[in-house]
Amino acid sequence: MQQILVIAKQTFKEAVRNKILFILITLGVVTICCSVFMPVVGDGREKIKIVESMCFRSITFFGTLAAILLSASSIPTDIDNKVICTITAKPVQRTNIIFGKIIGFVYIIGVLLLIMGSVSYTLIRYTALKQGTQGSSRGLLAREQFDPVNLQITGDSAKKIGNVSWIEGGGKGASVWKFKGLSSKDKNDDLAIEANFLIEGKKRSTGRIPVKIKIINPYSARILTESMEVSRNKPLLLRLNGKSLDGSEELTIVVSPENSGDFLGIRADSLRIFWGEKGFGCNYLKGLTIISTQFLLMVVIAVLGSTFLSLPVNILFCLFVFFCGNITDFMRDLSTVINVIETSEHEHGISGVMQKSNVYLMYLNHIIKKPILLLSYILPDFRYFSVGKYFIDGINIPCKRIFMGFGYAVLYALVCLPISFLVFKRKEIA
Amino acid sequence: MLLLWTIVLLSGRAWKLSDDIAIKTEDLTKAYRSFWGRKKVLALNKLNIAIRKGEIFGLLGPNGSGKTTTLKLLLGLIFPTEGRAYVLGEATDDVAIKSRIGFMPEESCFYRFLNADETLDFYGQLFRIPGKERKLRTNRLLTRVGLEFARKRPLKQYSKGMLRRIGIAQALINDPDLIILDEPTSGLDPIGTRETKDLILGLKAQGKTVLLCSHLLSDVQDICDRVAIIDKGELQISGTIGELLANRDIVELLIRNLSKETLMEVERFIQEKQGEVVSIKNSSGTLEDLFLKIVQERRETSWDRSD
Repeated sequence: MQQILVIAKQTFKEAVRNKILFILITLGVVTICCSVFMPVVGDGREKIKIVESMCFRSITFFGTLAAILLSASSIPTDIDNKVICTITAKPVQRTNIIFGKIIGFVYIIGVLLLIMGSVSYTLIRYTALKQGTQGSSRGLLAREQFDPVNLQITGDSAKKIGNVSWIEGGGKGASVWKFKGLSSKDKNDDLAIEANFLIEGKKRSTGRIPVKIKIINPYSARILTESMEVSRNKPLLLRLNGKSLDGSEELTIVVSPENSGDFLGIRADSLRIFWGEKGFGCNYLKGLTIISTQFLLMVVIAVLGSTFLSLPVNILFCLFVFFCGNITDFMRDLSTVINVIETSEHEHGISGVMQKSNVYLMYLNHIIKKPILLLSYILPDFRYFSVGKYFIDGINIPCKRIFMGFGYAVLYALVCLPISFLVFKRKEIA
Repeated sequence: MLLLWTIVLLSGRAWKLSDDIAIKTEDLTKAYRSFWGRKKVLALNKLNIAIRKGEIFGLLGPNGSGKTTTLKLLLGLIFPTEGRAYVLGEATDDVAIKSRIGFMPEESCFYRFLNADETLDFYGQLFRIPGKERKLRTNRLLTRVGLEFARKRPLKQYSKGMLRRIGIAQALINDPDLIILDEPTSGLDPIGTRETKDLILGLKAQGKTVLLCSHLLSDVQDICDRVAIIDKGELQISGTIGELLANRDIVELLIRNLSKETLMEVERFIQEKQGEVVSIKNSSGTLEDLFLKIVQERRETSWDRSD
């Protein structure tokens, strides 16, 4: 353990004296501070959104850059400079060198997060104070979000393309969402139902289709029916008084298009309920925790790469992993994308798309789609660590999310580390 | 199977008990392979050497002969393609044995942003030497290699010679039983060279084993008890300096205060006895001796003036 800490301390010292850490932190802080001067159209909340978004993006960007540049370069530089010869000639297990390096990078990332996180927090609080919305529900929001425990698609018309289920209106299909565990400190708070649906319809030019929403309270058997219009690119919003739940913690919501020929595209996370608020400070800390887990995962990957790749190749490898890890959704949905390309050529909606087959697309399917799909499962999925949307939408980050991110990072690291040890143990230090 | 294991264990035990051998290689072979696994270079071919404890052993050879490869194999930095090597009675893949070895690589490879104190402290910590002892050894070694005046200066500001000195100091931080030095005098001025040679002889006097490789033949001749010459990865010859350099057909006479007439008489006498005089010339010192004498005198003079 002593040797690991000695190498960790050395790694940290190296980063500090090489001034890379200093430069990255300075650039990060400058970028964060610049967010205050961004022009905003809208109310005070919009301004806070911009600052929050910029802060988190800056921390993520510079943190990732630090993780990649430092951890990807450390071992290859030591090998190039032959410093590694003098270290491995001492009674040091090679696994201890890897562990030491990783712990050193953890120190570095910790310092970066501490400084950039403190500056960001101060700036967000300052902006909220300046906008006069601090503490109010319109300012630093951390709304409690509830996801459905069950989604059922009913009716003969239902078709699934990728992860989107399409249902047709006119009584041919419906989506049934069940929510459980709904609770809030203040029962008088408004309960907000927010939905983001995809739409397809005969009157495509209008960009809107009418839908019927039924809200069922299973406890009191009270049913509330609303008719609303779903627009393209605009979330559907419905507010209920918290009291209308009558103490129930369950709610069932049924959504269906009203007219035949109108299609509603539904994903598992298309409909959410917001009820009650949590403290912003705590939410901010949760966000930083998740981001730091992502950095640690990146460090482990960069160290793995550094055991068998040269410095420039390793940096490229890490950037590739980071980029692809952030678009795994797209990689997995490539089939949907290809089909959507076809949809634009078709005038008769979804059913037509299902029938069309194209030789080129079939080749594309085999040559590109399948390897990319495989890659999307091998590479780390950085969606687990994406917190920006929580702050932009003012949503409290569920603790489940932290555990999931942490668990995912630990599992991934448990796969990467033994490979690093094995490769580095067999590496010839010539 | 059990019998086989017993024989293996007993033979291992027997090897460990042969106390006077510090390093032994058995058909040690190293081939570097290309990316596709094809044999690219045969750096070392079936090397068999044994180095006794307490001796200074020199590994000689031209550039690319396999000297550094041998050292790296002994230190476990690279792995043999065939054969085996033992260091202080243990196989080279045993990490623990490295606590009794000091190594100075060919190039001075250290963290350049550290100063001499920090460098020795870092390597001392890798040996798990307690803090107080580490400090004591650091002070002693820096004095010994003549770097006390520059102990707080970052290594990036050091000259090549100074870096070689800190390299020697870090190799000795753990008070090793075996010291492996790769080109210890390269980059050093004649004074530094002489000091290093004295230091190596001092280590021998303390009972340490020294393995050094060099292509500076005079250095090796001055201090080594035994040498091995390797070329193109193969051992050409090995033995003590005396054995290797002895020429039984030629006798050298060193005579002081001899007149010309007497010299002619001696020459005549030799010819009468069927001997052949190859050359008669006045004795000359080495350039190194001359350089050291001049620099030493100059330093003493400036020292007297400053007094």
